[in-house]
Amino acid sequence: MKETVVKLRLNQQQLELMDRTIAQGVAPDRAALVRLALREYAANRKAETARSSR
Amino acid sequence: MTTRKIISEWLLEPGTGKAIELLKGQILRIEQVEGGQCADFNCFNLHDYKEFMHCGRTRTVHGFHPTKGTFMWSAPPRERAMLYILEDTFGRNDVLFPRCSAYVYEAAYGFSVHTNCHDIQAEAQREYGLTPDDVHDSFNLFMCTGVDADGHAYMTRQTTKPGDYVDLLALMDVLAVPNVCGADVMKTSNFALKPLKLTVFEATEADLASVPKTPVLASQRTPNDFKNPIIKSDRALRRDPDYKPEFPNTPIVLTELPITLTAEEIAMFNAVKLTDIYGDDDAAALRDILFSWWEERFLQAHAGAPAIEA
Repeated sequence: MKETVVKLRLNQQQLELMDRTIAQGVAPDRAALVRLALREYAANRKAETARSSR
Repeated sequence: MTTRKIISEWLLEPGTGKAIELLKGQILRIEQVEGGQCADFNCFNLHDYKEFMHCGRTRTVHGFHPTKGTFMWSAPPRERAMLYILEDTFGRNDVLFPRCSAYVYEAAYGFSVHTNCHDIQAEAQREYGLTPDDVHDSFNLFMCTGVDADGHAYMTRQTTKPGDYVDLLALMDVLAVPNVCGADVMKTSNFALKPLKLTVFEATEADLASVPKTPVLASQRTPNDFKNPIIKSDRALRRDPDYKPEFPNTPIVLTELPITLTAEEIAMFNAVKLTDIYGDDDAAALRDILFSWWEERFLQAHAGAPAIEA
């Protein structure tokens, strides 16, 4: 399966927020948190589209 | 229910205001006498006038029309709840408009002198040594306002009746300054100036128990935390030759975080990324998704507003 690497540029404050979120048990590490965010954000947009087309 | 003890009463005549020492646990009732009258209101920390009610912070937290169950906040960096709106029988107030001023009446209507909330506030608070420069934007009680489709604030007439009132409970010792709005050539008070009744009560245990707890945070700073706690006492601004900037969290340093996305995740990403804003900068688009998601999932207040649940 083809994979793509996206190199995020984040400052220390953004990383701190990510690390505090990780410390709550939301995801095991920074990369996993970003991928979780992408999946949930995309799912929310899909659900919104479905709701608005009803 | 326990009856509140009345501490003092005033009748505010048209064109006037009154500076009142309202201590923590006391309630100021601002009440319609004839109906249809806007009241402007401001307040200061009684022990440090540099802490004052801030409409900007208040509107960010509670919207353009604060009413029963909301707070009046002080300006950053204090950002404390100064007053709690315990009751509001009409339910329409405003923090969009600034206080009306002499300039407004001269520029728009040609008056060389006209009752106006800025000057009334200034004259009322002069009793406590404050100057006209110390007047801040007012909380406009009973004022019916909105925003039109072009983004301009507008005001319209009100339908308050005699006896309608707003109860403001002091959460700290304040100098409260209500005034009868001076606008008689605008819709604000239905084109007439009428008196308002003021009553100060001692809050009951039930009143005090009804106030939601707000957080006490390290970011609510006082002069003890300021690098410069001295109030400037002259008017000219001069550069401090010894000044060395100490901005927090600087320098801002960027770190690269590689994220490996599967083909399925790339398809999701391509479906939702904001190419109209970020073009082909996928890193910026993914960063946007990360923090937009965070807001959706974790933010407890409107974006840009602090959470106020303790």
